[in-house]
This record gives sequence, C-alpha cells and structure tokens, in this order.
Amino acid sequence: MSATRAADDVREMDFDPVTRVAGALSFQASVDVGGGRVLDASALATLFRGYEVILEGRDPRDAIFVSSRACGVSGGGHATASALACEMAFGIQPPPMGIVARNLMAALECLYDHPTSLFTRIGPDYSEPVVRETNPELWERALQTAAPGRGTHGFELIADIMTALTRFSGKLYTEALHRGRRAREAYVLIGGKYPHPQTLAPGGISSTIDTQDMNVMLMRVTEFFDYSKKVVAVWDDVVDFFLEAEPRFREVGAGPASFIDLGQWDDPYAYDGTFETATAWAQRRWSTPGAIVDGRLRTTDVQQVNMGVEEFVDHSFYESWTSQAPRLRSDPAGNPLSAYHPSNKETIPQPGQTDPARKYSWCTAPRWDRQPMETGAPARLWMTALARKLPHRSFMEPTGSGLRLAVPQAWLPTAELEWRAPRHWGALERNRAHAYALAQATLVAYENLVLGLDLMRRGGPDAGVFTHYKIPKGVSHGTGLWGGTRGYTSHHMTLESQVIESYQILGPSTFTMSPRDGQGNPGPCEAAVVATPLLSTANPERCIDVLRAIRSFNPSMSCATH
Amino acid sequence: MTYDPSPFGGKLRTVPYAGAVFGADYPVGLGGLGGSPDGPLNEVHVFWIAGMSCDGCSIAATGATNPSVEDLLLGRVPNLPKVILHHPVLNPGAGTELTRPMKKAVEGNLGAPYVVVLEGSVPDDQAFPTELGYFSAMGAGGFDPDSETDQPNRVTDWLWKLAPGAAAYVAIGTCATWGGIPAAAGNITGSMSLTDFLGKDYRSALGVPVVNVPGCSPVGDNFTETVAAVLLFLQNLAPLPKFDELGRPAWLFEETVHRHCPKAGYYEEGVFAEQEGDNECLVEIGCWGPVVQCNIVERGAINGMGGCMVAGGACIGCTMPGFPDKYSPFYKAPPGSFISGGLTKINGGAIRRLRRMSMKSGNREALWDSVGEVPSGWADDKGKPSAFDKTNAFFYKKLQYRGSVHQGKRNKKQPLPASRDILRQKGIDHNQGTDVLGDRVRTR
Ligand code: SF4
Ligand code: SF4
Repeated sequence: MSATRAADDVREMDFDPVTRVAGALSFQASVDVGGGRVLDASALATLFRGYEVILEGRDPRDAIFVSSRACGVSGGGHATASALACEMAFGIQPPPMGIVARNLMAALECLYDHPTSLFTRIGPDYSEPVVRETNPELWERALQTAAPGRGTHGFELIADIMTALTRFSGKLYTEALHRGRRAREAYVLIGGKYPHPQTLAPGGISSTIDTQDMNVMLMRVTEFFDYSKKVVAVWDDVVDFFLEAEPRFREVGAGPASFIDLGQWDDPYAYDGTFETATAWAQRRWSTPGAIVDGRLRTTDVQQVNMGVEEFVDHSFYESWTSQAPRLRSDPAGNPLSAYHPSNKETIPQPGQTDPARKYSWCTAPRWDRQPMETGAPARLWMTALARKLPHRSFMEPTGSGLRLAVPQAWLPTAELEWRAPRHWGALERNRAHAYALAQATLVAYENLVLGLDLMRRGGPDAGVFTHYKIPKGVSHGTGLWGGTRGYTSHHMTLESQVIESYQILGPSTFTMSPRDGQGNPGPCEAAVVATPLLSTANPERCIDVLRAIRSFNPSMSCATH
Repeated sequence: MTYDPSPFGGKLRTVPYAGAVFGADYPVGLGGLGGSPDGPLNEVHVFWIAGMSCDGCSIAATGATNPSVEDLLLGRVPNLPKVILHHPVLNPGAGTELTRPMKKAVEGNLGAPYVVVLEGSVPDDQAFPTELGYFSAMGAGGFDPDSETDQPNRVTDWLWKLAPGAAAYVAIGTCATWGGIPAAAGNITGSMSLTDFLGKDYRSALGVPVVNVPGCSPVGDNFTETVAAVLLFLQNLAPLPKFDELGRPAWLFEETVHRHCPKAGYYEEGVFAEQEGDNECLVEIGCWGPVVQCNIVERGAINGMGGCMVAGGACIGCTMPGFPDKYSPFYKAPPGSFISGGLTKINGGAIRRLRRMSMKSGNREALWDSVGEVPSGWADDKGKPSAFDKTNAFFYKKLQYRGSVHQGKRNKKQPLPASRDILRQKGIDHNQGTDVLGDRVRTR
C-alpha cells in the first residue's frame, strides 16, 4: 500500500493490489492510524473483459465452455450454472448418475479451494512472521498457550500453529498445496482438467466413469476425512486464541450476518431442470438455498431468492440499461421481476476516471431486497443450519442454529463436529466457518460417491450420464441457479432462433466486493473494512487487520467482474 | 537485431547451443543484467502479471509437480537459481510492497535479472488516454516518481515499460499467447495476445522473443517445466530448449493430441461415441483432437492424472491460436471428421473384425487349444475353434512364424500336466461348496 498524509492523523491508503486474493482487487481507504479506525473504504475491481457481451450472438452449445473461462477460481461452478441454464432453455434434465457426477465435481472443487483459501491466502495473516511483526505480545502469549486441538492436529502450542501457517515454508501452507493437488487429481478423472472442466454438457456430463475412477476418487476423498478434522481443529484453535487474547478481534471485518445462497449439489431424483418446480428441487440440495438478513432466515425459496436480486451500476463503470423496456416482466413461474434484475440487464461498459464519489469499480452492486449480502462457503453453512430443510442426513444434521457433521473414522477416530452460528460475525468467524465448510464438502463428496456406486450397481437408465437435446427454435429462457464453491452463481440466458440473445452472469464476489449502490449503501466488504479496528500494537501502518477483513471474504475478482 | 554488450562491460559469455536460434556467436548470458558475470545466476525475479485473465493459469501453475511452484521458489532444484516470485495471489505484502520492485525494474535499478510472466490477454486501452480509464489495472500512483495521481495504473503500461529490460517474457495460457476468449468475436475491449501487443520485432534483453505456453487453462507442468528448462539454459547447464515457429515449447506442442489419445485406438477401428458419456472416440460429439497441438492426454492434467479425453471430454482446441471461434460450435462434429471418420469406419471396421479373431485366439492358453476346453468358472466357454477359425489360424500362424520357429507346433507336442483338474482327481465335489458362511449370509 502507499500512504499519503492528508489530515494530521488521517491517511489515504491505497491497497493496490490487495494481494492474496484471487484477481484484480484494490482498496482505497481513509485510515485514522492514531485512532486505530478506518473512516472510509472503497473496493475497486480493476478488470473488465466483457464475457457477457462475448457470449451474445453465439451458439448456446458454446455457453458452458466460454462462460467457465469467466473465472478460473470457480470455473466448474460457472460451467455448472451454465449447463443448468441450457437445460432449462432446452427443456431437458440429466439422468441421476449425471447429476451425481456433477455433485462430485462440485464437492471436489471445494476440497481443492477451501484449503487453498484458508492456508495460502488467509492463513499467512495469522502466521508467526506476521504476528511477531504486528502484535509481538500475542506471539509471546501464543508461546505460552497449549493448543486445545493438539490431539487432532498435532501442534502442541498455538505458536506452533502460527509457525506452520508461514507462507511457503510452513507445514500447513505446504500441506494445503499438496492436498489441493490430491483433490484436483480426483477432479480431473471425471472433469478432464482444472480449473476449466472439459466434460460438462447440457443434459449431463460426457465423463466415462468406471470402477477405477470411483476407486481413486474414493481414496482421495477418504484422505479428506482426517484432513478436514485437522483443518477444523486448527482454525478453532486460532480463532479462539485471538478472540480470547483480545475480544476486539471480533470487530475485525464485522458484518450484519446477511447472506444469500442458491444451494448446490442436486438431489439426483429431484432436479428436473424447470423453473416452475425449482422451489421444491432446490430445497432438496445438500446445501439449502435462501436468504438471511441480520442473522434471521428470510426465505428458503430459490424463486424468491432469484426474484429479489437487482444489480445497480451507479458507482460502476457501466451505463444504466433501464431506459429500455425490460426483457422479462416476470419469471416463468409468474413472479414479477425488476428492471434491475440480471435477466433484464444489458452490459454497457463505460471506462472512466476512478472517483469514489462517482464511479470507481468494474464490479456492479447486486443487492437482495435492496440489501447488501454476503456469499460464500460461510453462507452455505448458515443457510443449511438455519433452514433445517436438509433432506440428506446420513452425516449431517442442521439444528436451527448450527450444523452437526459426523466425519467418519480414517486414521483419526470418528469426529462429531458442530459448527454453531456465532453471535458476532466477523473475519475470524468467517475463517472458522470456512474450515467447517471443508468438512461439509467432504461428507457431500463421500455421500455422492456412495450414491454413484449404488447407481452403477443397479445399472439401467438411471446409471446414464447424459440426455439428448434439441436447441429450441423460438424464444426461450434459461436460468442457472447454483451455489458454486465460492457461493451464489447465477447465469441468465435468453435464446432466440437458436442463438444467444442475452447472457448475464452474477458471481459470488460481485455481491461481496460490490461498490456502493444508488442509495449510497456500501458493499459488504467495504462496510466490514470500515468496521475494522486497527489492533496492531507494533505496526498499525501496515493495516494488517484491514487485510484480514478483506481476505476473510475470500474474493475472486475475475468472477466478480467477468 | 544487434546486441551491444558494452553496457555490461563486454563480459557476456556465449552459449554454444544458442546458435540454432540466434546465430553461432550470439552473446547470450547473464552478465550485466544484475547477476554476477562470472558465476552462475543465484536468483531471478519473476513478475507475474495478470491482464485480462480469469486467474486460471495461476491456479493451473500451482497444480504443477515437475517442478512444483514451491520447488522453484524455495530453490529446491539443484543448480536452478532461486526464483523470487512477485505474484498478486501469493505475495506476502499488499500494494506497493508488490509493485515497488516492479517499479525499480521499470526504472532499470532492480539490481537483478527479471522475467515477466503474463497471464491473460492485453486489452486495447492504450488506444485511449489515461484519463478515460482502463480495462485492466494493477497498482496505483503512476510511474513518474513525482506523480501525484491516485488513479490505477494500467496493466498495459506495465507490460510495455517492463519489456525492454526483461531477461525473458513468458506468456502463459491461451489468453496471453493468442488472445483467447477475451479476444473472441464480439469482444468490446479490443483484446489481443502479448505477441500482437509487443510486435514481431520484440526481443527480450537476452534476445529472446516471447515464449508462449498455451492452454485454457494450461497444464501446470508445461509452464514450470519450460521455466526450469530456460533457467537451466541460462545457467549453461542445458541446451536452449526447442521452440517452434510460434514460440511454443516444441517438445510439448509439436504433436497432435489425437496421436496420444487413449481413444485413438477406437478411432482407428472406426468406432465412435454416439453421445456424451460413451467410451469410444469422441470425434462425433465434437472432438477436434486430430488437428489440435496439445499434450494433455500424454502428460495428464494434474500429477499425471486426468486429461480431457482421458475423462471423456471432447477437445475444443483450447491451446490453439484459433480458439475459441475456429472450433465453435462446441459439441458438434468437426466437418473434417465426416471424411476421415467415414473412411475409418470402413477400413477400421474390417481391421476391428480381424483383430477380434486374433484376440479370440490370444485369449486361449496353448493348453486349452490342446484339450479343447476352457476351464473357467466365469463363463461356459467350449474353447473349440470353428472350422473357419481353424483355417484362419492355419494361415495366420504360417505368416507369423515364417522365418522363425513354429511355437504352435511345439506346443502341440507338449505333454499335458498330470495334476490338471486336481479337485476332480481327488474326488471333491466342488459344485457343492462348503458352508463357510453358514446362515450369516442370505442370498438375495
Ligand atoms: S477422442 Fe478426439 S483425440 Fe481422441 S481419438 Fe477421438 S478424435 Fe482423436
Ligand atoms: S485436449 Fe483440447 S480442450 Fe483439452 S486441453 Fe488440449 S487443446 Fe484444450
């Protein structure tokens, strides 16, 4: 960051780029260093490629592989959302094994992405070199504090964990790289490549899945039984240590606990590719769709989630499109749609000067019910826990305020983990939730492997992976609603004469990294940065807590801007 | 281009193998670039810049294992210089902590050699003045030390400012190498490849044109291996790796992916997948492999595993300069396949039938041929060849053993083993079985 002295104590800080996040993100902030406060913050997404415009005028069969390239962090999530949009537009649905295979890919993507985020992006901010530099007193304390989870993760002291979190050389850092590769090895067996899978198709998947693939995937997933227990124990210890040492750490990255998610991992016998029945089939997902505002559950109906979304560009480098008549006044189920809804949006870029008072980001400002919302792996836990709709309870049990996870025995004994929705929501709790989400994804992967093996055993049409399709000749619409590894991912497609007339993409980080909206409400991460106290005793200028706050959202900027 | 070593004290060494590319006495070496002119290079800075990218190339690079990114960064490969990576997704510090060394490099006082890696295509934002904004930016505050601006710096400015001093410029991924999807039909950013941006005459400080490692997303090992090969060359330890006419590592991209495809045998025998999920050659569901230069099925996607067709995915040509538009629409058979695929259906069909006959014989022990029985409990196979099989086998073996020893004849003279079918000889009725499991197991 660079700093220029403005007022006595107040400095204009430029975190450009914010490193250790995926993609082009920069933050401009006014920081009162002496007072330990952030007065103002603006999130700048500094990239625009125009994927939506590139998709217009193309054959819909190109949509999956083109839109996947919008984001290399969750390419699989975008490819899946695109396949769902195609299926709705073509009027088809995949056979059960095709759905199970997609679930597996989505879960394996989490097994790669969550450890990578937790240990290569977020973890170093809690590592020995950083803590020693910013808060030496915490390092002294960590040297005196036994780690409660040592039986699981093997580190005696909190200080040992901090050392292991060190960038490149730390044991937890390098292990995450290794585990991420193991998960991707399993992924490419049925996805072909990573991060842009080559097997997703409208109507299912083109993977050829045999006993060898299932065996190798099973071995890789069972490795994650122990690894996810370990990751949860590590982050429970780190988070509890910081919160006990200095309760004000709960204010770092604080937010109102408002979440939006679309749910992922479809029930192979429920998903039917139609919008009208989406409420029912989406509720049967392994993670429940819905919206939570201020910690209170507002809906679990995916149609209402979709209907409430609007995108604003008052502070983004785009022109407004609402002067034209909306493409869709209502969704296929008859719910009214706003002119600001993504399926009515046009992408009209207008690059210009960066000015936080006017336009400053290539990210739009999506809102739900006009509220800024958080997305991501933590949202997945919150929704599933509070909704208590989860139909698949072999390993998971939502309690209304938390989620119980039974992780089977491997080298370590069976563990009953329970994530509880915290009273104070902030950066540290986001990281903790992220760790539990790894256990959740591991269990979903395992359950779907078992389901897949059973489908293979029974054979017949359910064991098929693909359904034929014809591209309709008239006008048709497809909405791909998918939770994605990093959360909310929706694709909105209109076809006319077998060509894409309009294609809109909304990704998870578009929500979290959004600039202010027309009402002047900051985006979730902007607000969280302003809420953050500077708690570093030795080097407050470094603003480590601001960076911790930003990174806890785990943004992916290419996804956010596309 | 002429190369003037005088600023570096004229101490540059020549590398004997380099002649193939730059002429025999071309002074390629390290001296003067900040390294030690007398000894091997100790460290090299790598500036990883993301332009119009999805970050997928970074993700792919962290999947590499030969060598892995951490092998390069921690200096774990003997004789390779330690790589000091400045990467937005991996860097410890934010903001100027990342861009300060880049600025030093632009100003020419980094004090060490540097390589620039570009991920993502290059937008046409140099076409409009800075005041009108950017499509892709990194770092703020301008380049002039006295600049007061707080505007984001355009990536395109970094790219051209870093070009003259770079020891090498590597484009990773199809966006950077050939423009890729951001440069596809209908794009509104004027995106292009790094080679288009820098132009035909560009040479790095070491005289090397842009090195291109394509793929969308690329195979991680293709990138780290190329970096390692170039670094070994710079250390005078290995020949200059071979690059093709488009700057691709030739050993990775000179073959079509079809030649090493696990499904190529199906193609040869003329059997094709009718729909997604079928095992056979994927050409009729849209595979362009026969005309695409890529090594993913040979090398695997991650750690030797996966690869498009290995998993059942049809090739859409993502490594090629014509991607995506010259391979669109996806999931539709390429027109060329009607001829080549049609022809292989005819001759491949005949060959397949002949092969099945050979396989039928190869699936028999010589002993079974002698006794005329296959003692497998898995299937009721009589093992008695038909008259047609016999005639066939007669001529086949004649050809096979011509000019050598007829093992078939020798096998016929082989005595039968005396303890063959031992359970029956001992009077054990193996059809009855023993009640090992008792009533613990019920048959379904
Ligand atoms: S699947 Fe593609 S690459 Fe493989 S044999 Fe068939 S045409 Fe060739
Ligand atoms: S096989 Fe084709 S689609 Fe797959 S990586 Fe190679 S070029 Fe790309």
